[in-house]
Amino acid sequence: MTAAGATRTAAEAARAAGTPPGPPTAAPAASAAATGLVPAGDFDAVVVGAGPAGSAAALVLARSGKRVCLLERGPYPGSKNMYGGVVYPRILDGLLLDWWEDAPVQRWVTRRATMTLTDDQALTIDFRTESWGRPPYNGATALRPEFDAWLAAKAVDAGAVLVTSTTATGLLRDRPGGAVTGVSTDRPDGDLRAGIVVACDGVNSFLAKQAGLHGPVDPANYTLGAKEVLAVPARTIEERFGLGPDQGADFEIIGCTGAIPGGGFLYTNRDSLAIGVVLHLPALATAGVRPEELIAGLKAHPAVAPLVAGGELVEYSAHLIPEGGYDMMPALAGAGILVAGDAAAMCLAAGIWLEGVNFAIASGMAAGEAAAAALAAGDVSERGLAGYRRRLQDSFVLQDHRRLRHAPHLLLSERVQQRYPQLACDIVEDLFTVTNPEPKPGMRRLVRRQVTASGVRLRDLAADTWRALRTFG
Amino acid sequence: MSTAPPGSGDPDTATGSDEPQSPGPDDPGAALGPILVCRRWVDLRPSVDPLTGAVGNDPRTSGASAADDAALEWALQAAEAWGTSVVAVTVGPPGSQAVLRDALAAGAARAIQVDLGSSGDAASVAAEITAVARALTARMVLCGDMGVDRGSGAVPALVAAAMGARQALGLVDLAIDPTEPGVVTGWRRLDGGRRQHLRAQAPFVASVEGVSTRLRRASLVGVLRSGGAPIEVVVPAGPTGGRVPSWMPASTGPGRPRTHVVDGPNPHEPAWRRVILLTGAGTDRPALRVVHAEPVDAAHQLIAALADWGEWE
Repeated sequence: MTAAGATRTAAEAARAAGTPPGPPTAAPAASAAATGLVPAGDFDAVVVGAGPAGSAAALVLARSGKRVCLLERGPYPGSKNMYGGVVYPRILDGLLLDWWEDAPVQRWVTRRATMTLTDDQALTIDFRTESWGRPPYNGATALRPEFDAWLAAKAVDAGAVLVTSTTATGLLRDRPGGAVTGVSTDRPDGDLRAGIVVACDGVNSFLAKQAGLHGPVDPANYTLGAKEVLAVPARTIEERFGLGPDQGADFEIIGCTGAIPGGGFLYTNRDSLAIGVVLHLPALATAGVRPEELIAGLKAHPAVAPLVAGGELVEYSAHLIPEGGYDMMPALAGAGILVAGDAAAMCLAAGIWLEGVNFAIASGMAAGEAAAAALAAGDVSERGLAGYRRRLQDSFVLQDHRRLRHAPHLLLSERVQQRYPQLACDIVEDLFTVTNPEPKPGMRRLVRRQVTASGVRLRDLAADTWRALRTFG
Repeated sequence: MSTAPPGSGDPDTATGSDEPQSPGPDDPGAALGPILVCRRWVDLRPSVDPLTGAVGNDPRTSGASAADDAALEWALQAAEAWGTSVVAVTVGPPGSQAVLRDALAAGAARAIQVDLGSSGDAASVAAEITAVARALTARMVLCGDMGVDRGSGAVPALVAAAMGARQALGLVDLAIDPTEPGVVTGWRRLDGGRRQHLRAQAPFVASVEGVSTRLRRASLVGVLRSGGAPIEVVVPAGPTGGRVPSWMPASTGPGRPRTHVVDGPNPHEPAWRRVILLTGAGTDRPALRVVHAEPVDAAHQLIAALADWGEWE
């Protein structure tokens, strides 16, 4: 990650040199054209996809003086995005000074709760801290159409050329099977040549697949996120969730998806709530249940219904999430191409940690830095771009993913999804049920009784506990 | 180029005050002048707060309507056919330059933004467009038929009147003949599923519906060039009302006739009689009258009929 001071210095130097922003039709920068290995083209780099990863990559590249084109399929960045969750934007400290002053944040999350649900029980671990509600903050609810547009505007301000309503339809190569030299688009005369292509084209990255960087697609590595946005007055949200005017709550929920492995979520926006489920794709395909039915069930749960009562549905959407983590990641670089963000499966779904945007931004920044270095060195071969992976390995991106690589499999197991939520709720209900004139049972006896009743074998419980300790420890 | 609808006979001549001026024989494109195409920046997906009913507009979802895009496409086709150029104009705040860049990307040669803010009414907008047309010596103006934000559709007619040009409004199809520069043939809807066939010669103002054609997809080179292309900004010197001719209506909102006080039937009448009085059932009505008249005479007859019925004061 680039230090803030260094970034500013580089940007100032670039501005002083008068490099970006140049007119879109100006000649390619000398750094690209003067080298033998880098093909001369329209731009030094083309970034495909103006999501968090793409905009971060374009911003870094533009600040380093490269001519960069940011291609976006939608009419504006974030236009087709359904995300409505928590962004952990501290990664922006290294990219944008005092980003929180103008970032389009809905609410700063000061309350973090994990709910375990059964049909008629709820066990919630609820934490709140006021320190997350002041700079430098921790997490924020955000609407991605706003957030993505804001970050893309930063890249444009730095000199990137944003082209919207344009889909990259394929890769250009210097020869069949050779190095990537640009992208073709769905516009007339739509070939766009560049020294490097940074593919940030989302979970179904056609460019990464076309480049041969993805192995066979395994549906088990994907989940489907389905979400409703419910309009609720801001004051009501604050009263129901016990929040201040700018404060937000983040509820992660387990045990609300029936027989389908997955989870649920409930986030507070400024004057709306985002509630939804995340569902294991193969199980959803065979379950014969529609996601909206599960959301309806979640909204009707006695522990959730009072929180969402009276909410007017204003949006329903669904999206694939690459939750397989480290084990599903593609090769991150090929000759002339880098892959970042969801296209590189950078989403971290590790139960208590559900993070994506920060990983996308960090991978985009690393891709931008690696691309700029490779262009400057005149070597955009796979070897010349190996610095991308090194940067990710040195940062939290691959360190967290590698450490938590077994978490998705553990969390989506039948016991964690079905049996343990019931067991935990039953133990707590037993614990707090006063059965006078019977005396209180001892804790060990109480737990043993409920474990036996649940049918969970102690051996499995011990094994899962050990796996959890190894995974999260 | 569109295909002429079946059953179209000889076209009517579009209404207008001036005699047509023939283009110069040597350089028809130069004699015609540029084609001015009007574009309006409007939120295509306004949000409505379900709790308060407040309408929210977002620049990100704003752009040109399908009708404005269709007008641009027809203008580009005409310019290509007649060897002239297209100038795109919008009257609105700086954000409205987005629709001009779309026009430049598609092939317009120039773009002009009249910085009137977002509060201009139809008369002010028409006055500004007319001023631009006069400055450019543009004798052909193409527009979308009406704004999608509850627009009145009055701007094209007001521009035509101010320019003294013919008007062919609400066209659902258009034909452009390369051998007849400055002449368009169009069709517009009439009641009963009928079509009116119009022929207009420059100077004219034509407005088209969005269904009439689809804007071409801009090339990538065009999009990239449009991003850095200059846009001429015209700031009206004085109050916008200064350019509005005195004959233009002060308000171009939809007509809202005053309510009439209608006395109810005598409550002492029997119920069946009161029902007849209220519904008019069984009473004599004036016979259907078909009038064949020139436009001005037809308008007078319509007004007279409305006055007879008590609907025109």
